[in-house]
Amino acid sequence: MTVRISAAACAALLVASLAGAEKPSPAGIQEWSPPETAWGVPDLRGVWDFRTITPLERPVRFGETGALTEEQASEFRDQELSRRNKDRRASDGISAEQDVRNAYNQFWWDYGSELTEDRRTSLIVEPPDGRIPALTPAARARYKAIRDARARAPHGPEDRGVAERCLLGFNAGPPYTPSAYNNNVHIFQTPGYAVLLIEMVNDARIVPLDDRPRLPEHMRQWRGDARGRWEGNTLVVESRNFTGKTTHRGSGRNMVLTERFTRVGPERLVYEYTIDDPDSFAKPWKAQIPMKRTDQPMFEYACHEGNYSMFTMLEGARAAERAGKAHTGSNLP
Amino acid sequence: MSEAARTTETTVIRAFDRGMCTVSARDGSRLWLESLSMRHRLNSALVAVRTNSSVIALALVLVAGAAWAQDYEAPLTPDGNPNLNGIWQALGTAHWNVEGHSAESGPVVEMGALGAIPGGLAIVEGGKIPYRDEALAKRDANRQDWLALDPVVKCYMPGVPRATYMPFPFQIVQTPEHILIAYEFASASRVIYMNRPDFEHPGDAWMGHSRGRWEGQTLVVEVTNHVPDTWFDSAGNFHTDALRVVERYTPTGPNHILYEAEIEDENVYTRPWKIKLPLYRRMDENMQLLEFKCVEFVEEMMYGHLRKKDSE
Repeated sequence: MTVRISAAACAALLVASLAGAEKPSPAGIQEWSPPETAWGVPDLRGVWDFRTITPLERPVRFGETGALTEEQASEFRDQELSRRNKDRRASDGISAEQDVRNAYNQFWWDYGSELTEDRRTSLIVEPPDGRIPALTPAARARYKAIRDARARAPHGPEDRGVAERCLLGFNAGPPYTPSAYNNNVHIFQTPGYAVLLIEMVNDARIVPLDDRPRLPEHMRQWRGDARGRWEGNTLVVESRNFTGKTTHRGSGRNMVLTERFTRVGPERLVYEYTIDDPDSFAKPWKAQIPMKRTDQPMFEYACHEGNYSMFTMLEGARAAERAGKAHTGSNLP
Repeated sequence: MSEAARTTETTVIRAFDRGMCTVSARDGSRLWLESLSMRHRLNSALVAVRTNSSVIALALVLVAGAAWAQDYEAPLTPDGNPNLNGIWQALGTAHWNVEGHSAESGPVVEMGALGAIPGGLAIVEGGKIPYRDEALAKRDANRQDWLALDPVVKCYMPGVPRATYMPFPFQIVQTPEHILIAYEFASASRVIYMNRPDFEHPGDAWMGHSRGRWEGQTLVVEVTNHVPDTWFDSAGNFHTDALRVVERYTPTGPNHILYEAEIEDENVYTRPWKIKLPLYRRMDENMQLLEFKCVEFVEEMMYGHLRKKDSE
């Protein structure tokens, strides 16, 4: 691929460099040409950090406001940091119940401390209200069953959800969504493949880039079945064949997930995903998440191997039943 | 030349063409064996004497074991390293027992012949792991109760080298700085950090900490920082957290890798010991790793006794 710099792009680059930041604006996606691998495709390799405190869905009070002024953003950032602060105790004016929930204190959480650089009010960029479209009745019923199972004293491991069972990390999706910690994905490329290794539960999604056929309809996988292609400088990964045993905010087994990875600067990558699942949502929706290159390595996340909490949660639930005590609910939000 | 001799000659020449070994007679009476290993001896060699392009004598020299082609030149990746990319799998029964073992009945009566444990030759050089006496006693105790104790039964990550010869495929994904090995079993994976001998790991890991380098065509990986909880097989063979493994992946043909590992743990062995086995490229059309997220398959075994009694 050749480097294409138009006059407009030069001006944009100049402005960006004066501002000391690479702005992952839609214009930037078009104008910056990423380095290439030895076999001539955009080089996305390395570890990418996708922490952000910008919420997935826009808080209702922002209405149609997609991006904030600098001043508004500063205020929003403070509010988000305060809302997420797990070191607040009852003496700081929160309820005793909330204090107990904060037992898993701030040390363990790693959402980062920044909003997206373009000061968005939500990671969701479509629909324009920045919120997940209405769930269909079938999806609502499915989602309710999951929530009800989580709210009760667990009957078995299935009630606790995929992440606590260590089947998939809580931010591992797919799609990837910034969450409590270990928000890192290591991208590998070799001719014919891209591989997305997420830190949570060491899960490697291997994406063939050739035109091989998809798995047949009846073969279902927790992470779906991924196929990739290049559209310009963007790696596009389309996944189907999900199990229905996972859900991303209400999605079901027929979700078509399209993820786009575009490197927009030496240290910046824009990750976008679109969820198309008419069985579950009134319309498709799309989120855009900035990723920042990091030189920090990822380490093994041995979840199942150390899952003592599954034993203790189930043992606790059975002990409470024997003692005739009511379940007081999960202590995690 | 007789028809039989012609057929034999064809077979031998095909073997040469496939790079199994290279032999030529330069002066009609002397044998020249070319391209013997820099490091490995050929265990088996086809030796032919050719004079004036006709086979006048043929000897098949067989020493126990397989023939490793040492003159094979692996293709290079676009970055210029020997290309090990692809989906590979070990054959054999080392995952049951790395030492030689006869066939025996399996642990689940209902599985019948399908659940029986097939016999297998040792992948351990010399046949036996050189345990210290007290360690051998522990190995035997492990073996006695392996179904309850084998960590892989619980879908725990197999560790290195066991992940290599589990009866599941794995994929090697090479970049100049990192080599990823993604294993189908338990969705385990590990990253090999290339040319960073000083990169220390802050703790121990089920899949260890892997630092690699190229020695000629051989990928050499030093694996340290192992948890003491993994085993080598389902026969109780074990190690402690003093384990160090040096793996060597040598391409011996377009579809074969010679896998060797030197294993050291002074807590339990009297000396370092080695395993050796071939890895085969999975040739299936459109081959891809599928998910084997086995947590789901062990939950009933691990947590079933803690289920609510009247629940489904």
